[in-house]
Amino acid sequence: MVWQQEHKLSYESFLEKYRIVTICFLGAFLLLSLRLLHLQVIRGKYYKSVSEEQRTQIILERAARGLIYDQNNRIIVGNRTAFVALFYPFTQEAELPKELLTRLSKIFDIKDLSSQIATGWRKGQVVRLAENLSREDMFRIQEQRLVIPGISVVKESRRNYNFPEANSHLIGYLNEISRKELNNLKNEGYKMGDWVGQRGLEEVYDSLLRGRDGGWQIEVDAFGRQTRLVKHIPSFIGNSLYTTINLDLQKVAYEELKKSPTGRGAVIGLDPRSGAVRIFVSCPGFNPELSFSKEFKNYLTDNELPLFNRTIQALYPPGSLFKVITFVAAVAEEKIDLEKEIVCKGKFYFGKKTYNCWEKKGHGKISLIPALAKSCNVYFYHLGLKTHVDTISKYARRFRLDKPTGIEIPSEKVGLVPDKKWKKEKLDEVWLPGDTINMAIGQGPLWFSPVQVAVMMASIANKGTFYKPYILEKVISPQGDVVRQVGKDKLGEIKLEDNVWDLLHLGLREVVRDGTGQWCKFKTLEVAGKTGTAENPHGEDHAWFSAYAPADNPELVLVVIVENGGSGGSVAAPIARKIFKEAFREQTKRDW
Amino acid sequence: MIYKFESIDYTNKTFPRRFLEKMDWMLFSIVALLVLSGLVAVYSAIRNFESPEKFLTTQIIAVILGFVGLLIFLTLNYQYYRQIPYFIYISSFLLLALVLVFGIKIRGTKGWFSLFYFSFQPVEFAKIMFILVLAGYLDRRWREIKRLSTVFISLFLLLGHVILILMQPDFSSTLVYFPVTLILLYVVGAELLYLLAIVLFGGLAAGIPLMATYFRMQPEFLGTHPVINFIVIATRGGWQALVVLLGIILILTIVWWFLNQLRISIPFLYLIILSGIIVFGSISSVVVQKSLREYQRKRLIVFLNPEIDPLGAGYNIIQSKIAIGSGQLLGKGLFSGTQSQLGFLPEQHTDFIFSMIGEETGYFFSQLAIILYFLLVWRALIIARDARDRYGSLVATGIASMFAFYGIINIGMVMGLMPATGLPLPFLSYGGSCMVSSLCAIGILFSIQIRRYTH
Repeated sequence: MVWQQEHKLSYESFLEKYRIVTICFLGAFLLLSLRLLHLQVIRGKYYKSVSEEQRTQIILERAARGLIYDQNNRIIVGNRTAFVALFYPFTQEAELPKELLTRLSKIFDIKDLSSQIATGWRKGQVVRLAENLSREDMFRIQEQRLVIPGISVVKESRRNYNFPEANSHLIGYLNEISRKELNNLKNEGYKMGDWVGQRGLEEVYDSLLRGRDGGWQIEVDAFGRQTRLVKHIPSFIGNSLYTTINLDLQKVAYEELKKSPTGRGAVIGLDPRSGAVRIFVSCPGFNPELSFSKEFKNYLTDNELPLFNRTIQALYPPGSLFKVITFVAAVAEEKIDLEKEIVCKGKFYFGKKTYNCWEKKGHGKISLIPALAKSCNVYFYHLGLKTHVDTISKYARRFRLDKPTGIEIPSEKVGLVPDKKWKKEKLDEVWLPGDTINMAIGQGPLWFSPVQVAVMMASIANKGTFYKPYILEKVISPQGDVVRQVGKDKLGEIKLEDNVWDLLHLGLREVVRDGTGQWCKFKTLEVAGKTGTAENPHGEDHAWFSAYAPADNPELVLVVIVENGGSGGSVAAPIARKIFKEAFREQTKRDW
Repeated sequence: MIYKFESIDYTNKTFPRRFLEKMDWMLFSIVALLVLSGLVAVYSAIRNFESPEKFLTTQIIAVILGFVGLLIFLTLNYQYYRQIPYFIYISSFLLLALVLVFGIKIRGTKGWFSLFYFSFQPVEFAKIMFILVLAGYLDRRWREIKRLSTVFISLFLLLGHVILILMQPDFSSTLVYFPVTLILLYVVGAELLYLLAIVLFGGLAAGIPLMATYFRMQPEFLGTHPVINFIVIATRGGWQALVVLLGIILILTIVWWFLNQLRISIPFLYLIILSGIIVFGSISSVVVQKSLREYQRKRLIVFLNPEIDPLGAGYNIIQSKIAIGSGQLLGKGLFSGTQSQLGFLPEQHTDFIFSMIGEETGYFFSQLAIILYFLLVWRALIIARDARDRYGSLVATGIASMFAFYGIINIGMVMGLMPATGLPLPFLSYGGSCMVSSLCAIGILFSIQIRRYTH
């Protein structure tokens, strides 16, 4: 073929260029095909998810958290219903009438209601207008026919705390998930806006307590209007926690601490037979219900440090409580003649220094058991010097005072047990006999958390077994299945001759019967314990009392500390008595 | 290439007979298939509109009118158009001029005549008339094709249309004019150097305002580096532009001098021409700068980076890419695309019809649509090859290029390869004028094709 009436060459020159054009077009369409392949096949999944995301909106229905029960199946933390006003931008067609908005803003108590609604409308997001509407507000809205499409009042589950302040450090509080937490927990199904537990059981067992959020999945068009309901996903309540805590004792402990001279302190109660935690109180507590409000920030600046969990985070010098360790070390290593009496004149001279007994006029002639009962410093100065520092330290460590107890509440602090090596390494100083004298009565660089002391005391009460203190006993799913069951967990043992235990128990009974712990004496219940008045360079002494009862078959170990409270015997022991009285209510009925 | 000369005499046969035997049925099937899929796609796109039946009847009437037009143009001998270039050009010019006076405004563009039930967009027909005129002119002048004057007169013809269209203002519709003109000049055998110069000139004239807009939309460019800073400011005109221009010319001169020293001699004339193009291109850019609307410039910019303005000018392209991509292999099913049916996709029945096809029918069908489109262009090019005279070849090449560029620009645009322009996809998009004029153009192709052996 060739053009008619034309030279062949001119047709061929056309053909040549025509081919190039054809090839260019083919190339362009190939490029289009490749792009199509890239968009639909290679990136298809991504675009699919983007298109799904922009057409579906989820109206969240927050799941109720699981309940927390005490030892006797009483609710420590429950749930209540709150009424929340929400604005949905999906159904509203036109602007809301002004007059209606002003009435609503009065009820909701917000000034910029219309601007909040405008924001939600623009972004196509649900706006929470009011968080805690009262039942009366609810009725007012319904009575006045203020229910309009777009704004609705829905029920939401909220935490309901029993004795919120007493249990605050045990339970913790809830807060909206932070960006940092979200980064860590993203893979575990947490999402923006979730509430997560902070501190306490709420934090530790958050994944068990949180339910599964539900909601309405709706389809929206490009203008954010709802086109249809896709489906409703019901929310599920979280698991229930059954704990070892005794709510009554918690309450008594907190009230008594509150009434104490400084109102600051902690009480730990353990069952020495298992390590079950019965009391876990730090005073002052806080109100976890305020966690979403601005007032919660006040706790951060409060001088009383209400957010400071004194049971596990505070380290105190043990004072005379430590005499228990010196006692055991000396007796077990046979450094002492039980009957040998020492004369206490209130003062003890060693080198150029004078060391005082707390009893200024002195205890006179005194032997081991009365010395423990009366907490005679002079006697224990002698005992300490005889026993030697590293032996005392060894026994302190055998009582696990240098180890965390492993209690499940997070951020536990560990105490310090010094010895010669420690002083050399840390302070680059030689251990002096004077240090031993101080250490024998629990002064010097020596400090423990209340929970550590409690575990030590529990091991004394049960003659040498260490149980990990635990709070969670079992987890029950909403369907009633046991998800988790926790029992006693033996951490270790301290093996001592029976006569050492007997002697120590005798001494501790004497403390309460006829010694410094008489403020905790019952006619109907024998208590054994030890007081401590820890000198504190920064202020008043800390008042300690640690005890167990009944003395012959211990069921409850208590540690009471009142920060800067003064004398252990007169400040801490009466608090312990109140708690024991509640714990052994039937038995001590006839006591005062 | 084997040139076989068939000596069968067809003149004895009647016209319908010849028509049926020699017509390119493949091209016809492609067009029919495209038109049918277009009707389904348009129906899917408009079924949620307020009065879908009105849209659908309009489209069906356009298809019927279009096929009537196809038959008319098929029977008319295309060679006749060569005889009446002035008539065609003047009437197309009048159409475009009259619409500026009597036309009605739709979305800011005064480009439609209102005729009873229909509105009619003259630019769709003017394009084809322009191809007929240009092909005729180049056919007459092919001996003087190497002359600059031929190129200039072709550009003059082009500008006559383009300026009138820009006055509507309809920026997108002019887009196809430029490549069609260049390709026709090229295949006839115009000097490649001239064509490259035109491209450079056009690139400068259009590119500088675009760059200025781009920099204005991304102010972080300013202050990064003093030299860059200077260039950024230079794109907005003023004395800085002058300095940059002089600098470029100086650099070119030095390069030319160096090459001469290395005994690579390039005529001095070329340097003058190049510099002249750069200067005039830059000067014309001021004119373009003034005539382009801000939104039009933004649209062009946004294709480079739709994320610059995700809720404004970039929204359409982003949504279109989401629509196509989310169709994946098999699509979301006819009538159940979420992007299109829920209104995320803009202009889904016109410019973005391909996105809807991609979303609802998936990869296989969309690829088929692209293949069909290319086959259409290919058959048109075959007709150009086999035409009986140069005029027929040029008209067919012009029409083929027109369809090719419609397809490349539109499909490229909805997939984010091209700027977002308001260009429909012939046969598939909703729009009566486009449908009728495209089918008429196919009629002209058939007219060329069935007459390839007649004497």
